[in-house]
Amino acid sequence: MNYLVHIAIMIEIYIMLALSLNLVLGFGGLMSLCHAAFYGIGAYATTLFMLHFHVSFLPAVAFSLAFTAVIAFLLSFPALRFRGDPFVLVTLGFQIIIYAILYNWISLTRGPYGIPGIPRPEIFGFQITSIKEYFVLASVFLVIIFIFLIPIYNSPYGLTLKALREDEIAAESLGKSAFRSFLTAFVLAGALASIPGSLYATYVTYIDPTSFTIDESIFQLTILLVGGSGNLKGPVAGAIFMVVLPEALRFLGLPSSIAPNVRQIIYGLLLIVFMFFRPQGFLGEYKVR
Amino acid sequence: MLLLQILLNGLVTAGIYALLAIGFGMVYRSLRFFHIAYGAVYTAGAYILYVFYCKLGFPLVIAIFLGIAFSVILGILMDTIAYLPLEKKGATAGVLFIASLGTYIVIVNLIALLFGNEVKVVLEGIQPSFNIGPLILTRLQAIQFIVAWGTVLLFWLAIRKNLTVKALWAMGEAPVLLKVLGFSWKRLRIYAFGISSAIAALASILVALDVGIDPHVGMHAILTGAVAMLVGGMENYWAWVGGAFLLAMCQALSIWKFSARWQDALTFAILILTLLFRPQGLFSPLKRREER
Repeated sequence: MNYLVHIAIMIEIYIMLALSLNLVLGFGGLMSLCHAAFYGIGAYATTLFMLHFHVSFLPAVAFSLAFTAVIAFLLSFPALRFRGDPFVLVTLGFQIIIYAILYNWISLTRGPYGIPGIPRPEIFGFQITSIKEYFVLASVFLVIIFIFLIPIYNSPYGLTLKALREDEIAAESLGKSAFRSFLTAFVLAGALASIPGSLYATYVTYIDPTSFTIDESIFQLTILLVGGSGNLKGPVAGAIFMVVLPEALRFLGLPSSIAPNVRQIIYGLLLIVFMFFRPQGFLGEYKVR
Repeated sequence: MLLLQILLNGLVTAGIYALLAIGFGMVYRSLRFFHIAYGAVYTAGAYILYVFYCKLGFPLVIAIFLGIAFSVILGILMDTIAYLPLEKKGATAGVLFIASLGTYIVIVNLIALLFGNEVKVVLEGIQPSFNIGPLILTRLQAIQFIVAWGTVLLFWLAIRKNLTVKALWAMGEAPVLLKVLGFSWKRLRIYAFGISSAIAALASILVALDVGIDPHVGMHAILTGAVAMLVGGMENYWAWVGGAFLLAMCQALSIWKFSARWQDALTFAILILTLLFRPQGLFSPLKRREER
């Protein structure tokens, strides 16, 4: 039972990540390879606020949200000058720089040793300890993100992003600023990625930089490419599929020494197959270009 | 004196980086898509050497030759199985990039599955070294230096003299015109992937002889090659080499001043700064918009 609840929590965390990345990739059509960096910044910021400044969970989430938003804002200035390959490379570079900071700034992040003993969240005097209570907490956050994002997805702003994705010059000629729209999307996506980061850190109660590598960024990108992006159902389906798949493989009885590699091979094959036959993913509406 | 030693080591590394930049650049410039599975070819080259030399006991020279040959086959297979059918369906650069990323993930994890994730050493024992005045150079470093920089020079001559390589170079500028002139586009693609894979394997073998291999070296290699090429500038052969040289020197100096752990961050900081302030590359002349 606890195992199923654990999977449900991980699905919720990845749905949040997929929905936020969706703004940049699915709506904006910008292939960002640094979403795990924002996720990691959120996780580390929450942890450090809680451990060093002894603030409780909700203020820490708010602080890390604001902090991640500022970082995303600063990064968007160099990144959004580019489209296509240079954009991918700048975001990839940011991902690698953030990983290097998490790994090497030992006095702040404890580097490869990781940070153990992160306190479980306490909300209005109610201590969340059991895994089922945690599931409820994650669900509440997921619902908040849904309530926040669905109007944005359906708003004129969402439509503007889609128009920019399809034809940037034509959309700009209608008076929509590409830079300002993409900037908003980038900052929103980065800031929202910090919430699953906070949840992950306090759920597992231990973080180290290996959870926020370039591979993690690629994994989150794969969720959107497999499930589809540019709408609501694609990212949700992708997150459920990609989290459940390795658990399903576990029941095939693969030895644990080779399981991670087999999983990766399946992800790689999925990417190739989808690029061949369905570049918009299962349920998506954005075709990779 | 320490500084001179560091610069000498940097010069050896620069040769390897130049190879990576040339191999990556051949595909990126001719076909205009980000061939990230190049990293998998790089990894495979060193592992084939490892199998033939350490496991099957072939002589080193033959094992090196086989490593390069198999990598060439692998690179061409990637093109015929994955990229060419995709391009026939009218795939764009983004689709090819993702398919290439998928190919990279599959091959690297197959290698990890077969050989394990740990580092494999190819040459055991301590390598003999020479003293040049107060400077020390190991024998392998000397070999790396000669082979890498020799290949850089040879390839430059090939671009100047050899018709096929010249055509490949021209493909980056006017792919349609080449067809008009009677060159086979498919055959040129095969040459591009073959040459790039051979150079990747050569670089990976030179590195593997020195420090060994693990399945994940390829990503670092391709990123270094791509950054070196883009920092130097895409249009000019010596700009690629210059980018590689600059990158290697900055890394060598950063090891001296800080520590080796910040190398990757430094590499990408250089790339981002270059893209911001000189997007055409440090050693490339600015082009008019219509020319691009």
